[in-house]
Amino acid sequence: MTTVSPITPATLFSVTTGSGEPIYRQLVAQVRRLVAGGHLAAGDELPSVRETAQVLAVNPMTVSKAYSQLEAAGVLERRRGVGMVVAAQHTRAQTRTERSELLRPTLERAATEATQLEIEAATALTLFEKILKGR
Amino acid sequence: MTSPVLEMRNAFKRFPGKLALDGSNFTVSAGRVVGLLGRNGAGKTTLLECALGLREVDIGEVRLLGESPMSLSETARSRVGYVPQQNDLFEWLNAGQMLAFFKAFYTRWNDSKVAALLDRWSIPLHTPIGKLSGGEKQRLSIIRALAHDPDVLVLDEPVASLDPGGRRDFLRELVERTIENETTVVLSTHILSDLERVASDVAIMVAGKIILHQVLDTLTEHTHRVVGPTQLLQEIAFGKMLKRVEDRAGNTTLLLTFGEADQGRIDDFRSKGIRVEAIALEDLFIEISQ
Repeated sequence: MTTVSPITPATLFSVTTGSGEPIYRQLVAQVRRLVAGGHLAAGDELPSVRETAQVLAVNPMTVSKAYSQLEAAGVLERRRGVGMVVAAQHTRAQTRTERSELLRPTLERAATEATQLEIEAATALTLFEKILKGR
Repeated sequence: MTSPVLEMRNAFKRFPGKLALDGSNFTVSAGRVVGLLGRNGAGKTTLLECALGLREVDIGEVRLLGESPMSLSETARSRVGYVPQQNDLFEWLNAGQMLAFFKAFYTRWNDSKVAALLDRWSIPLHTPIGKLSGGEKQRLSIIRALAHDPDVLVLDEPVASLDPGGRRDFLRELVERTIENETTVVLSTHILSDLERVASDVAIMVAGKIILHQVLDTLTEHTHRVVGPTQLLQEIAFGKMLKRVEDRAGNTTLLLTFGEADQGRIDDFRSKGIRVEAIALEDLFIEISQ
């Protein structure tokens, strides 16, 4: 028998400190990516603010702020008695173009660093390809 | 609007040969978790001690829960918990005896919480406190401060002797408290990663003054390091300049805080080849506390 394990904060989120990116933004970006990739679908319940704050050891206001922003952006919906769920419109993974856009900020950072290191496009692309295939 | 939990206005405190508080202003509202940062000797401990009435300011006004901390009522006193930086008291008692002693002073005392924490944090109950390790003493001091379910918690480097696991446990306990009781917390620490997790606000102290006090997210999101040729960075007519350094090679580095509204100007900077980067809290702290 297989049991469907509930979505726990630890499987959903990881928090990095010292990056200059506020923790609430990290949480927002992680949910967006999981929804865009179809790992989280319409109706999936998110762990409560309380549970998430405790497991991640972060201020509960930070988690609320992330959830509110995701709600305002139409990624999550507040459902009475349940809490936050993935909004109804997210029935399947987003288009490739939409998903690519979410990768852009990270690649832009990588591009800046490549420029600083004087690495040409072809070399950088080969490296990226190697890393992708190596996983 | 409710009055602040803690308010310090233009506070001065001089010790022989040192001005520890040099006109400090510090206000903490209910339910906030404020991380107090400062290099050694910046005056953090003095500030906290004056806020709690353990020391009296020479000049200035201090209010804790609306009262003067030097003549705090029993009611107000029972709402405050404090973890001092160093706690070498009651070394001849064991943990059980020490807690029983303190319990007698409070009308509210959360026995089940105390028992759970003693167990979870593996505090030996029958060993004299003087023989406990630094980390055990510190955890015991935290338990004592939390035992009467205070509404205001003041912690002076509470995790300095804890290992990473112990710190994470402590942070979880703090998070649970802020969820359940909306506890107001003032926490001085040198461990910025802990502070980033739990603090809602950051106050930075330099040479006896709070030089910056802001919502943490706002501070990290809106403060940038701007690096470019000095001639292009002569006059900046927007945002708030936290620091400016010019080097001999003709480059200038700025620490600049600005909001969403100024995004256009940033794009303009970038188009001229000026670097605009996010800055981590640790770098920010080091830059402005130098």
